[in-house]
Parts: sequence; structure tokens; C-alpha cells
Amino acid sequence: MAELKMLPFDAGNIPGPKMGRVTAPKIIGKMIKRAKKPLLICGSNIEEHGSIDKAIEIGKKGIPIAASGNAIVAFRNKGYMDNVKYVLLNDLANCLRDPEWKGLDGKGNYDTVIFIGSLYYLTSGILASLKNFVPHIKALAIDPYYQPNADMTFGDIWRKKDEYLAMLDEVIGEL
Amino acid sequence: MVKLKPGIFDIEDLENVKIEIKEIMGEKMPEEEWAPMGPTPKPKIPDLRYWDRILLKRYPPFYAPQCDTCILCTMGKCDLTGNKRGACGISLEAMQGRIVLLACLAGCSAHAAHGRHMLHDIEHMKGELDKIPIDFGTEINVEAPLTRLITGIKPKTVADLKEVFSYIEENIVQLGDALHTGQEGSALDFESKAYQMGMLDSLGKEAADIAQIAAFNFPIGPDRPLLDVGMGTLDTNKAVILVIGHNAPPATNICDYIQDHNLEDEVDIGGVCCTALDSSRYSTIVKLASSLGRQLRVIRAGLVDCIVVDEQCIRADIIEQAQKVGTPVIFANDKKMHNLEIRDGDDPDEIVKDLVSGNVPGVVLLDPLNVGEVAVKVAQQIKPIRRKKGWILSDEEFKKQVEACTNCGNCTIACPNGIRIGDGHKLAAEGDSSLLASQFDICIGCGRCEQVCPQNIPIVSTMIKAAWPLIQEEKGKIRQARGPIFDTEIRTVGAPLVLGTIPGIIAPIGCGNYPNGTKDVYTIAKEFGDRGYIVCLTGCMLIDTGLYKDEDGKTLFETHPDVFDKGGIINVGSCVSNAHIHDAAIKVANIFAQRNIRGNYAEIADYILNRVGACGVAWGAMSQKAASIAAGFNRLGVPAVVGPHSIKYRRSFLGRKDKEEDWYVYDARNGERVYVGPVPEHLLVVAETIEECIPLTAKLCMRAADTPAGRSIKLTHYIDLNQKYLGDYPDDWHLFVRSEADLPIAKRTELLQKLEAEQGWKIDWKSKKIVEGPKVYYNPSFDPTNIKDLIRTKKE
Repeated sequence: MAELKMLPFDAGNIPGPKMGRVTAPKIIGKMIKRAKKPLLICGSNIEEHGSIDKAIEIGKKGIPIAASGNAIVAFRNKGYMDNVKYVLLNDLANCLRDPEWKGLDGKGNYDTVIFIGSLYYLTSGILASLKNFVPHIKALAIDPYYQPNADMTFGDIWRKKDEYLAMLDEVIGEL
Repeated sequence: MVKLKPGIFDIEDLENVKIEIKEIMGEKMPEEEWAPMGPTPKPKIPDLRYWDRILLKRYPPFYAPQCDTCILCTMGKCDLTGNKRGACGISLEAMQGRIVLLACLAGCSAHAAHGRHMLHDIEHMKGELDKIPIDFGTEINVEAPLTRLITGIKPKTVADLKEVFSYIEENIVQLGDALHTGQEGSALDFESKAYQMGMLDSLGKEAADIAQIAAFNFPIGPDRPLLDVGMGTLDTNKAVILVIGHNAPPATNICDYIQDHNLEDEVDIGGVCCTALDSSRYSTIVKLASSLGRQLRVIRAGLVDCIVVDEQCIRADIIEQAQKVGTPVIFANDKKMHNLEIRDGDDPDEIVKDLVSGNVPGVVLLDPLNVGEVAVKVAQQIKPIRRKKGWILSDEEFKKQVEACTNCGNCTIACPNGIRIGDGHKLAAEGDSSLLASQFDICIGCGRCEQVCPQNIPIVSTMIKAAWPLIQEEKGKIRQARGPIFDTEIRTVGAPLVLGTIPGIIAPIGCGNYPNGTKDVYTIAKEFGDRGYIVCLTGCMLIDTGLYKDEDGKTLFETHPDVFDKGGIINVGSCVSNAHIHDAAIKVANIFAQRNIRGNYAEIADYILNRVGACGVAWGAMSQKAASIAAGFNRLGVPAVVGPHSIKYRRSFLGRKDKEEDWYVYDARNGERVYVGPVPEHLLVVAETIEECIPLTAKLCMRAADTPAGRSIKLTHYIDLNQKYLGDYPDDWHLFVRSEADLPIAKRTELLQKLEAEQGWKIDWKSKKIVEGPKVYYNPSFDPTNIKDLIRTKKE
């Protein structure tokens, strides 16, 4: 497995004393598996690094997908829309902070959200909001970047695409 | 009896004694009663708090902290993670509101101080302010809508604006006080104060622009001439002067000097940012070299022989950057002096000599009347010296630099947009510069990459070299700024706007910190202009919009009418000019709906929120001014969509369409509480991509008072734009349907089928009417309001 570094993709993105824990893919996979109601949030960079195919694999394991930005178009182009819904990320995060929110399926809020294909700096801000104001949700980041505001995150591995995809496979292997 | 009046007087027999009377106190003529005074002239912090609380209840702040600590006092550093409280008791949530207020303070101060500074300059350059009338001709009777609305003042001369600035300045101080440790502790009250600051900001912008229009005779109204825009328009056969900033008087003096000395064939003047926009209103010899995003590249390309800066959004390292290409810098504003000597009293030729010889890298000249001669002479004299050296990398030097790149990635993680510069270098080293050239436009020109490069590659320069053929061809057009919207235009569009047949006013405004380059702003403006929205541009987004051409080689300013009417794409002006977009909305209330605006802020904001389908788009918002501008628009009832970098402002204002109870208003006719649906759904919202931004902006133009014809047009655009950019119907379109009359005729059957199948609504297919389903209230004489006091007859 690649070395996992706590190096934010935006070099100055050091938010404070609580920084995301760099976590092995298997453990993140187990966290997702254990979640009562997980949601995979796919951002506008979902087509980078081949992430979309892995996101679809995760979706096929029964984890609902929220596609932000123009990610919905990528899923449609892939012919996978089974459990994919369009969301405006800012709007979704606003709803997530309300424990009484009914969720995208009308059945209640989520307990674990997983970010992939993110626009890094935007998602970092959204994660900061979840970290500080939404204690009822665990936030995981499985992009090839260290996300300091996530509870658990991959490390800095954006230059090693194959290793990154292998890490995603490890996550999927646990689901 | 001697009648005193302001002025400077000599005293007979007393040599060297002069008496200056600035203002006669206690003798001021009472202001003409031009309209009844409303409830809140010159509102102080608490006066409009009730309106803010209405907005904040529906659109509570969403906070995304950029920093989980507070370091503002010596009890810290305090760890506020998880919304803990610091040593002073402030929570992380309140701290976010505090930082937002601080940003708005800086932004509002920038506009207001610029306006006040300009009054001083105008007095110095043009004479007594009370001799300069504010008279914009027969097409404009409501000359200063924000000033009338907020202060209750109807200004007649530029001197009347002094009272406006005094009001702003006192309030800025009061609001600044709230930032101190041990003051405000509520996030919502910080936001109310940020709204107050935003409102003051809008007022300061209007006063500043009115002052410069009146004093410098800036042209106003439609059909303005076309101006050159783009880095490729600078004529390097001439000596080139570059003006950067937001305070035009020094640049006007340069224009005067060039024209008075018939030097147009020898000296070229270009501008960056709002000084470019404002000085081009004074003289069309000014070219718009670039927006903020190209500032560093214009300098580092070595295109200019003398740089003149005034204030705001100018690089803090401009001396160092300019020295890399041998360009002297003149600092023409006391906000920015960079430890250089003030040389106003010196012989201009001595100053020129010092700058041309390189004895000093720059000078400060605070008197705008001193700038023109020095800048022109410096540019002319240094040109032959500077031009001996080429500032664009040679082919050999370029090859050497890109081959030195190890693709370590340091530049990428330093880059705000995460550009893979190393990949661009790698390809260039193999002989293909196309990737590096394409990165030029996505780059925002910050220069952070160069500082972290272990090989010391001048990355800004390698990118310029790769993109040089594109830069030379960067030659677009925009209209000269037109300033205020005519009252007559408002009379024409007032009904279509309120009825919805003109689907909205779109205001792409603000800075150039785009996520994916400048083309996006062209796409946004074109999409809405083509669809018949009125597109009002200001600032850097305006400049960048002019860079792109259609297949016929025409820019949007050539293909769309220069009028405030359906499909118009107009240059309203600089940052301060975007007050005229607020003004247009206020004028709709005043001129079209006959609402009294004098000292009547909340009622007019309520009118705009419920009726005027306007939406700002700040796709590259960067500055604190953009923060205060957005707060000013929001308090006035105008929503805004911002680009993804704007998450770093820490705060958005988001509605919850799933919470029905948030979307009730009063019918002012009888006080009935009625559900109007989520219109507009958000007040300040971050979009991730333009594919998301464009349909969202269309959605935010819907209003409670839309007529069925207007709603059907707005709904058509919302659905159509979703299908175009996101590939499907939006999942919430049914929330905006009040009856079958809201459905566009061409799609009515299809939409009714969807409502029946997906929402379970009952349809009478014979008459094609909705029998059961919609919850949203509408009545042709519906008079929606969020303010209880505006109910005319209380319901029993």
C-alpha cells in the first residue's frame, strides 16, 4: 500500500487542532459497511482518476449516490442511474446538519457520508461544516487527497493513480 | 450685514492670512419635501434588524469554517472545534459571523473610503463640490435611488454626498466596534450587522459612482461605443502605461496629458480592473488590458513601460514583480505606498530621472494632477531602454526551464485551482506546449507556484511563453460603461419584469477567481442574454466576458443590444457602478409600482424579494468587497449564486424547500398567511460548476408574485436549462406550479402527465386542468409581503 501522507492538497489548508485521520482503505470500507445509513457523495471531478467506475461499484453494493455539480451527467453517460440523485452540495450539506431531515429517500438523515470525485477546496469547506456542526454524521473522504476536515481520509496519493484505484478496490472489497 | 458663505477669503492688510469657511452650520436650508419620509431614514444598527430576522429565519446562515481557532486576542489561541467557545465566550458559529462582518467591514470601507477620497480629489481637481450638479438629464429623475431609500436625501450637487458619506462612516465605526472582544455573541446578530454593512456598502458605491459621473462627465445611457479588451490589444510599438486599481482620478490625468500633448500615436494606456473601466468612461483611449486574473501576467509579460496603481486588488508584491521586467511603479493613493518616498513637491523631471535610471523602483504621488506628466515621460523615456531586452522567455530559455521541471507537484498543491503544471512542463519539454498554454486561462495569476518550485522555475513566465500566440490574439470588445439605468427604461421593462415576461435581471459581477477559466463567464452571460434575460455586468466578470467571440467573430457586446431591456447585455461599469443594479430594482418599485422609497428600506426590499426576479452571479468572487456587495444585494432581497471558491467566505444563506412552514407570506390585502413555495429558494448559495450554476440562477429568478404567464416562462427556462446542462428535469420543478396556467403551453400535456405520474396530482384531461395537487397560493391580485405591518386590512 502506498505511503499515506497528511499533506493537504491546498498547502495552506490547516484548519486547526482536529485534523482528519489518515486511515487505511480496509478500515474505511469496514466503517461504511457498519454504517446504518451511508451516502456516497460524488463531486464534479468524478471522472478523474477513474473514480466513477469505482463509485458505480459502490453504488451497486446498495449505497445510494448523491451526484453534485455536473457529476450526474457522468453517471448518465455511464448508463448507471439506479440509486443516483442530483444534489447541490451546499444545499445537501445544509440539510445534513438537521437531524430531522428526511434524506434523499424520504426515510431519514444519514449517519455516514463518503466523498469521492470532489472539487477539493469546496468539499474541504463542506467537511469543515460537518466536522464542527454536525456531530451525528461521520464524514469519510476517499479521494486521492488528504482532507483535513474529514473524520477519516485517504492520504496524499494523487500522483499514483494505480495505487489509488487499488485502495478503492480495498474499500469496495469490504462492502 | 455680511452674508457668510463657504470659501477661502483674504483678510485685508494681513499678509499671508487666509480664512477658510468650509460649511455654514445652523443655516442649512431645510430639504425640499420631495416625498413623505419613510420609517427608517439613515437606519442605525437596530433599525432594520426586524427585516434581517425575517430573512435570516427563512435563510439561516450555513457556516463552513476556514479555521477552527480564534487568534484575535491574547487569551487565545482558542480551539473552537466542534462549536466550542473560546476564552471570551464566543462560539465557533458566532466567530464565523464575526469574520464575515470583518470581511464586509473591509469591503464596505474600501468602497466608501474610495468615494470619500474621490470627493477630496474632485474638489482639488474640479473645484467646489456644490457647483457640480447631480443632473443626469431628462431620462433620469430618480438620480440616486439607494441614497433616497437609505438616507432620505435627494442629492442635488456632489456636495450633498458629504452627508451621505458621514452617515456611512459613523455606521462603519459602530459596526467595527461590534467586532471587538466582548461585544456581539450571536451569529445571527453578526449577520444582521453584516447586512447593515452590506447596505452601507451599496450606498457608498452609489455615492462614489454618482460623484465621478457628475464630476468627470462620464457618459450615461445605452448605445455606448465599443472598447478594446484583452492583453493583445496593448500596442507595444508605443510606450505603454498600465493603470491598476479602482480610483480613476490619477488615470484621468494621464489621459488628459496624452491628449493635451497629442501623444496618442506615441503612448498607449491600458488598465486592469476597475480603474480601467472607470478611466475608459472618461476617455476611450483607455484599453481594458485585463481583469484581475491577468494582472500578474500583464506585468510579467513585460508589455508595459510604466505602472500606475491607485487602490484595491493590486498585488502586494507589485514592486518586486515589476522590477523583474524593469518597469517603474507610481503609487497614486495613500492606501498603498510600499515604503516609498512621497514626491509630490519635487520637480517632475527629477522624479522621471530617478525612475528611468532605476535609482528608485517607484514613487508615491498623491496629487492626481501630478501623475500624468510623470507617468507619460517615464514610459516614453524608459521604453527604448526596456525594449532592448525581450521579456518573454526565448525558445532556448523556455526549453531549459521546462526541462528542469521534475514534476514534483509542489506547484500543484500551491495552486488554488490545483493545476497540474508539471504535466504541462513535461509535455512542453517533449515539444508540445499546448497543455501548458491551455493552463494559462485556468490559472488565476497568483504566482504561489513560483515560490515553492525547488528548481526556481519562473512558472508564470513559462506559462506566458507557452500561451504567447494566444495572448497576442487576445483582442475582444466590450461596450463603454453606461452607468445608471434610465427611468424610461424602467418604465418599459417594469411591467414585464414584475409580470415575469422578461424572466429576470442577471447580474454577473465581481472578481476573476474562477474555478475553470474565463470562458465560463461568457457562457453564463450568453445563455441568459440569448434567453431574453437582462444581463447587467460589472467589474472583472464584465471584462472577461468581452474576451470571447462567436463564429462570426463578434463578442456578446456586438451581438446583443446595449439596452436595459429583454436580451440586453450591458456594461454597467466598475465595482462601484453595480449600485445601479440595486438601483434598477428599487426603481421598479418606485417608478413602476409607485412605492415611496424615501427612508423606506424594508418595504422596498420586501417588494423586491417578492416581485423582482433579479439574481447576482459572482462566479469568481475573491475580495472582501465581494462579500459586502453580496450582503448588500441580499438585504435588498436579491439572491446571488457564487462560484465554488466562495465556500471560503465561510457563509451562505440557504432556504429549505422541504420545510413548508418557511415559505408562508402574508397577502397584504387581508393578512391571510399563504404558502408561496420556495421562491427564491436561497439567498446566497455556492454552485460547484457552471452546469449547476446556470439552471440554479434561473430558478432563483422565480418570485411569489409571478403571474401565470411569467411563471410559465421562468419555469420553461429552469426546466430547459436543467435538461441542457444536467441532462434531465429538475426534481423540484413541481414545487413552482400553482395551476395549469403556470405550465408552458408547448409542453403542457407532457408536464401534466409527469405531475400525474410522479407527484400523484389529479388531472382533468378533458379540460387539461389540475384538479388536485398544487399547494402554492396564487391570486391575480395577490400582494405578497413578509412584513406584518404592511397588511392593509387585518383579517378578522
